[in-house]
Amino acid sequence: MSGATQTNLGTVKERAGLALNNDFLRKAVKFTTERLRTGKEKAAADHGNWDEWRERGRQIRLHTIAHLDYYLNLFVENARANGVHIHFAETAAEAVEISLAIAKQVEARTVVKSKSMVTEELHLNHALESIDVEAIETDLGEYIIQLAGEAPSHIIIPAIHKNRYQIAELLSADAGETLAPDTQILAGFVRRKLREKFLEADIGMTGCNFAIAETGSMVLFENEGNARMVSTVPKTQITLMGMERIIPSFEDLEVMATLLPRSATGQKLTVYMSGISGPRREVDADGPDEMHIIIVDNGRSLQLGDPEFQELLNCIRCGACLNACPVYRHIGGHAYGGTYSGPIGAVLTPALKKNIAEWDDIANASSLCGACYEACPVKIPLHEMLVYLRRRKLEAGRGDKLEAIGMKGFAAVMKNSKRFGAVLKIGKLGQKLVVRDGGIRSKIGPLKGWNSYRVTPSLPSESFREKWPTMEQEIRHGLQEMDPAVKSRMEAIVRERQSGGNGGKGNGGHGHHG
Amino acid sequence: MATAVKETGDTGIMANKEARQQWLAEQTAKSKEKQVSFINSISSKLGRARPTAAPAHPFRGAPDFWREFEWPIDERAEKFMENFRAVGGHSLRLGSMEEAKQFIVDKAAEMSAKYIIRQNQPELAEMDLEFALSEAKVSVWNSDPEEQWKARAAEADFGVVVVDHAAAYTGSLTVLSSKDKGRSVSLLPTVLMAIIPIERLRTRLGEVLVEFDRAGREQLPAGIHFISGPSRSADIENDLTIGVHGPGVVYAIIVG
Ligand code: SF4
Repeated sequence: MSGATQTNLGTVKERAGLALNNDFLRKAVKFTTERLRTGKEKAAADHGNWDEWRERGRQIRLHTIAHLDYYLNLFVENARANGVHIHFAETAAEAVEISLAIAKQVEARTVVKSKSMVTEELHLNHALESIDVEAIETDLGEYIIQLAGEAPSHIIIPAIHKNRYQIAELLSADAGETLAPDTQILAGFVRRKLREKFLEADIGMTGCNFAIAETGSMVLFENEGNARMVSTVPKTQITLMGMERIIPSFEDLEVMATLLPRSATGQKLTVYMSGISGPRREVDADGPDEMHIIIVDNGRSLQLGDPEFQELLNCIRCGACLNACPVYRHIGGHAYGGTYSGPIGAVLTPALKKNIAEWDDIANASSLCGACYEACPVKIPLHEMLVYLRRRKLEAGRGDKLEAIGMKGFAAVMKNSKRFGAVLKIGKLGQKLVVRDGGIRSKIGPLKGWNSYRVTPSLPSESFREKWPTMEQEIRHGLQEMDPAVKSRMEAIVRERQSGGNGGKGNGGHGHHG
Repeated sequence: MATAVKETGDTGIMANKEARQQWLAEQTAKSKEKQVSFINSISSKLGRARPTAAPAHPFRGAPDFWREFEWPIDERAEKFMENFRAVGGHSLRLGSMEEAKQFIVDKAAEMSAKYIIRQNQPELAEMDLEFALSEAKVSVWNSDPEEQWKARAAEADFGVVVVDHAAAYTGSLTVLSSKDKGRSVSLLPTVLMAIIPIERLRTRLGEVLVEFDRAGREQLPAGIHFISGPSRSADIENDLTIGVHGPGVVYAIIVG
């Protein structure tokens, strides 16, 4: 029977491979693409009463987090009743351990993954490789990067640093034939190739945008369709979910579905929004036979009961704060190491680790402007949190001189719009990294996994700057110039990028590094 | 000899299956135990005992002004089509299922579709595409337990479905999974033909979502999928690419 299963799998793949009509897609799609390129995509942000929606979103998140014990428990009970196997992981190591144990149980050889911040947080690909399980990233950009053997943590937009000629080269090597450097042809190849992978994979692995407590459903937002593939085709599904992803009901999902895509990519809704409530039903002919949800803490619960940081758990990972941050827009975020970058990363990274030493120049810069807060669909006061963080750091005696200077440097520059020009100039270093056509692409930090981009060049408002408390004003006093240490760090980023765009990569293996 | 091998194989599988079930049972026990400490630790960090009853949730769902909002049916259809087209989908409104059938048949001929898969829905059975499209191979989802249904869907040029719901404001279709309605049928084929009986078209997303709350957990299917246009990506040179994993061409046909 196990032999028979394998033959069947082989057959599935074979049949699908044989019957896939390659030219068909190309012809069929050509028309649509051309129409979209020439036609103007309808603006999506024309949604009225935005502030009321934001306020509603904030209230729903506040309410859920304030009663997280109740709602998480309810979710767990309902998901179990749906037939899901629930696991709890207090640490990243535990989450990895559980994932590997499942992979071993099902004797997995390959895992297909759709993009998820949590799996990046855990460095799961690495761990899977260590037990000889192949982990395949299935987002188009991520797949390309994986082929190149590069580390996503060093990449702003998974494949934007590669032009289509380079991508054609990579994919041609993968295909064993020469592929023309045409976007549609290249994407078409990946479509065919990954289809085989979806059909033969033992495990599909996803993240989770929201989890609905009252029905035990998990919700995924995406544009490519690979998250649907990963949760429909393989026999086993593993979903990694941050413990704070909960919302009470489907009704509440309407608010999240209104806020998230608009804030992330300017879409009214992502192409796919899926609510999955358990493994396939007995009578269904597709969907996973077995479904696991691993609920991950990994530092999140440290924010609970902390009046200054609890609201961090309200974050819906839209990335709007990244695009809004003027400094971030100019220097980019990939050099800052962590899974989460930009203003949210600047607060979340140290918060998750309860280690206030882990913050960076972005934190200094962002703390002086409220653009991140203005952009945030659930109104998280990131700018204030950056100040709390700063204060705690000083209190802990860790505010070493260099960093204090760094903060002053940004403070001085940002305070004075004339000097903002100097930032822009320095930022030009950064522009080489991120900016084309004057806008930053959205495949950054929390934005990875979203497919279009948004440009939000909102500069700090006067009123905002005036709001800062005395400590800030003191720190701001004095420095006229960008701190040389900050500047040299930025320059180092550029050099690294220019030396081939893969600085810091490992020895060319697949998957995530560091 | 062959029988002997088969028997050994089956016993192996049985043993395997048992070991597996046992492992899962162990995990469940472990998980239930951990659940107590995990949840209690949240309560203690929140500085109170765990609530036993549902907390009052005064902000449930969309803001009040939004709940009133509804377009009259013709405008709803117009807006749906406009939104669906804006994201690269195709949309049209036809008077009857007969017209919808003709449209699909013509498109299949125009695009020379060779493999077609459809949901096992009564509306589609009535269309009898199998007969009308005798040139193509038309399969009916899950109509034969021996068939490899995912492969059938993966090779299909056309997937044909009747949607369960639609929402005009976001230009979204909703399809629910069941024995007769495969998730793969709206996902794996190159072209998706989705029929929207006009009485299933609502204005707001929330009108559709609230149905799932009303139905309750036990009534929900494994898969609920909202589809708002063709699969897309901008990962290569930020150039919009259509049909990366899901259908690259989607027709949303409003009937009625
Ligand atoms: S903190 Fe940033 S990523 Fe999180 S919800 Fe707000 S804007 Fe989005």
